[in-house]
Amino acid sequence: MFHRILIANRGEIALRIIRAAHELGIETVAVHSTADRNSLHVRFADQSFCIGPPPSKESYLNIPALLSAAEVSGADAIHPGYGFLSENAEFAEMVIHAGLGWIGPRPEMLRMMGNKIRAKEAMKEAGLPQLPGSEGVIRDERELLKLAEKVGFPVILKAASGGGGRGMKIVREKEQLSQAYRTASAESLAAFGNGDMYVERYVEHPRHIEIQIVADEHGNVIHLGERECSVQRRHQKMLEESPSPALNDKLRERMGRVAVEAMKKIEYNNVGTIEFLLDERSEFYFMEMNTRIQVEHPVTESVTGIDLLKEQIRLAAGEELGRTQKSISMKGHAIECRVNAEDPVSFAPSPGLITAYNSPGGLGVRIDSAAYEQYRVLPFYDSMVAKLIVTADSRPAAIMRMRRALEEYIVEGIKTNIAFHKRLLRYEPFVQGRYDTRLVEKLLAENPA
Amino acid sequence: MDVDKLKAILEALKGTDVTRLTWAAGEETLDLRLGHPPAAPAVVQAMPIAAPVPAVVAQSAPAAAAPTPAASAAAAAAAKVESDKKTFTVNSPFVGTFYRSANPETPPFVDVGQQIAKGQVLCIVEAMKLMNEIEAEQPGKLVEVLIQNGSPVEYGEALFRFEPV
Repeated sequence: MFHRILIANRGEIALRIIRAAHELGIETVAVHSTADRNSLHVRFADQSFCIGPPPSKESYLNIPALLSAAEVSGADAIHPGYGFLSENAEFAEMVIHAGLGWIGPRPEMLRMMGNKIRAKEAMKEAGLPQLPGSEGVIRDERELLKLAEKVGFPVILKAASGGGGRGMKIVREKEQLSQAYRTASAESLAAFGNGDMYVERYVEHPRHIEIQIVADEHGNVIHLGERECSVQRRHQKMLEESPSPALNDKLRERMGRVAVEAMKKIEYNNVGTIEFLLDERSEFYFMEMNTRIQVEHPVTESVTGIDLLKEQIRLAAGEELGRTQKSISMKGHAIECRVNAEDPVSFAPSPGLITAYNSPGGLGVRIDSAAYEQYRVLPFYDSMVAKLIVTADSRPAAIMRMRRALEEYIVEGIKTNIAFHKRLLRYEPFVQGRYDTRLVEKLLAENPA
Repeated sequence: MDVDKLKAILEALKGTDVTRLTWAAGEETLDLRLGHPPAAPAVVQAMPIAAPVPAVVAQSAPAAAAPTPAASAAAAAAAKVESDKKTFTVNSPFVGTFYRSANPETPPFVDVGQQIAKGQVLCIVEAMKLMNEIEAEQPGKLVEVLIQNGSPVEYGEALFRFEPV
């Protein structure tokens, strides 16, 4: 087992990793930019090192500084958290090359899933269902037109190196195809340095369902059920829940089974998430895989009782899974709201000083946050202030609990989307569980604040 | 070391462009720095030699020209005043390990009381097995070394305090 872990991240996830490590009896090393000097992760880690100025590029993405901090601190493993360098195969390789443990999947896994086209090809081979579309990169406009006509309009163009909704274009008519392709490819080239695109059938009312995978280095793989992540605005998740109101036991078992089989085939290790698109007929298709811990992991922890961060650390140290699929049971219902420093109406970021802060409590309420009174939400990093997670016996009870918890949540000095979450938790399609990725758009159109 | 020997050494260096000499023999070590600005006038005046020697520091040779208690006290007092006056620090450009000399056998690159020229090497910060020499970005008089040799340093951590010249 590791002795001392360096956390190459900040904010709530750095704190989350510290908590897991300390419960495992492992020491922690925090790194931070000059702007994060007063952060909780710096305070609660056993050691801390300032590694650079505020811009991420010079601090949290600064590989030499991170490796140097690991060496100076005597760390024997690095946890990358999510975002930043968590899915960077070169970084993972350098960490391993430096003789340190990498708390994540092997670099080849990061590389395979980092390229959307390669990931789709590999997952197709591993038996995961795919949306009809291009097999690999679109070579030219002629080929694109032929493919689009074959799968039928509307189609969606996606950047091979894209993510988080960037580099995507929906095309509803044949006439718009060429223009859309050129624009999207140019945008992708500018944003990711790669203009490669692929095309697939566009599902009008998709749900975004993801399966949590846990795998050891000895060939054992299980899944921890699904997370429903369809509550999104501009492809950014806002609320997640588990289980999904759209799945029954049979479908859940089927999705989990094919996911586990695919992971066994590619010899995946550590934790990961397979994102599926679920269409109106309950057919599911592979979208992408995230080779790291997810922001929304707490909803899975809440219904399975399994600490995913501890699992991640344990498995990275080479331990055996020690669980079978049969031993996993899901109990109750969990919902997570992402509380962001943003205007609840315009969604514009709202960094600044938190002048008053009261986080909700009580049975079944969990807060994962690095915020406190007098904490400054910085403009350099993402705007998430907290994750509010509730767990209850049933979905209706969880909704009631979340409404209650949101009422208790006081954050002053900055604007947050708490008011938006309150509306969402009372919005009938959400309460009924009948929604898709268009839910937020619909809510905003029907009753603008 | 006797004064005559020292005189002879200084004489031999006259007219050359040697700016620094480190000499060791048995228990004795001698670290000579030659240059213009009279950094420690008290010490220089106390020495009966007419040579352009701004500072002479001898180590582990109790009989030699160690800074007099008076001079040390003056330096300490000066440092106190300096914290009120305008001083500036040289900070670590990255996280790593701080070394005051090129290797354990050699003397520190710089010492308190010394005049530092722009571009002069002050210390080494080791990061990822690379020895990075940290140079002075502006001239100044070194008043305080803030980090212990061999200690880890963070990005932006103050390493030295200088008085402007």
